[in-house]
Amino acid sequence: MELVRVITSAIVFRALILVYVLAPAAPAQWLHYPHKDTPRTPDGKPDLTAPAPRRPDGKPDMSGVWIGSTKYMINIAADLKEVPFQPWAAAEYKRRRDTESKDDPSGQCLPLSVPVKQTITSPFKIVDVPQKEEMIMLYEGQRHREIFMDGRPLPRDPEPSWYGYSTGRWEGDDLVIESNGFNGIPWLDINGHPSTDALHLTERYHRVDFGHMSLEITIDDPKAYTKPWTVKESPRLLPDTELLEAVCENNQDPAHMVGK
Amino acid sequence: MKILAALLFSGAAGVYAHHSFAAEFDGSKRVTLKGTVTKVDWRNPHIYVYLNVKDEKGNVTEWACEGGPPNVLLREGWTRNSVKEGDEVTIDGAVAKDGSKRCNSRTVNLADGRKVFAGSSEDNTKQ
Repeated sequence: MELVRVITSAIVFRALILVYVLAPAAPAQWLHYPHKDTPRTPDGKPDLTAPAPRRPDGKPDMSGVWIGSTKYMINIAADLKEVPFQPWAAAEYKRRRDTESKDDPSGQCLPLSVPVKQTITSPFKIVDVPQKEEMIMLYEGQRHREIFMDGRPLPRDPEPSWYGYSTGRWEGDDLVIESNGFNGIPWLDINGHPSTDALHLTERYHRVDFGHMSLEITIDDPKAYTKPWTVKESPRLLPDTELLEAVCENNQDPAHMVGK
Repeated sequence: MKILAALLFSGAAGVYAHHSFAAEFDGSKRVTLKGTVTKVDWRNPHIYVYLNVKDEKGNVTEWACEGGPPNVLLREGWTRNSVKEGDEVTIDGAVAKDGSKRCNSRTVNLADGRKVFAGSSEDNTKQ
């Protein structure tokens, strides 16, 4: 009996090894995983123009994995005719451009600014937790943001931080997020638009349909700019996927970034 | 077929950024490197393909060519096994400004004609 069990175990073990060896390569994490909530066209493809989903209370459900457009990651002011720089900020922006952005803190693997996080080629994921009156913004790479929807005010005289402090509210179907308490270190884009600890950031998200949203980012930083200015972009949904890990562990660039 | 789909997709999404391209590489100095892959470093913030390049006299030089980050490349259909040690490749890229044997690869061509890891951070500078 014992011998049979041993033989059976050996057969099962070999079969398992065979399955393991013959199985197609397992997909990396959940790079492609059909989600049960994804609306589909008759041919089974995600229907990205289906109506925007709504929460049980009727508010739009902003959940999903979204990605911005590189145009604004590179130059957040790409659509502006003129950026209302304070004089020092204009000089600093020129210096950063003249040196090919070699001093960008993100080149040293330091955190990206929130505007870059919303526009970079790595997606962000919105997790809505209405019963806790909170939304979580997760990022591929590093960190997350907590957006408190419980009506609390933004902190006064906050400890400066990389990602700031965020509260959110609904204005009709728009999700409006306000943030302050930034440390002014990360650049607003790769080109190097500066910001300071006076930055008050407003993000207005509107889910147009299942696969598309509009996002208005308003930069209000009186230390760096003479008046607030707004950027409009259109993040798109990445259906049937999840965030991947991206730890900045092998940064060989700084030693070779000579600029001009 | 999968390769084709990945290539088509990379046309739209083949840009990425971690740092300024122009701070490190000279877009006007192109290089075509033909050699044998000695290592693929599939790590963030950029993958590196190391290759030994032999000149006409038989002297071997090791080059390190930077590519996109794994998360972006994975979304374009590539994996850590798309290029392996021992593969013969031809890399078109831009050389490092500091004179080191480094390049930013635009395309990596395998001996059988397949192109892998398409896309370059240089595309970002055209915005």
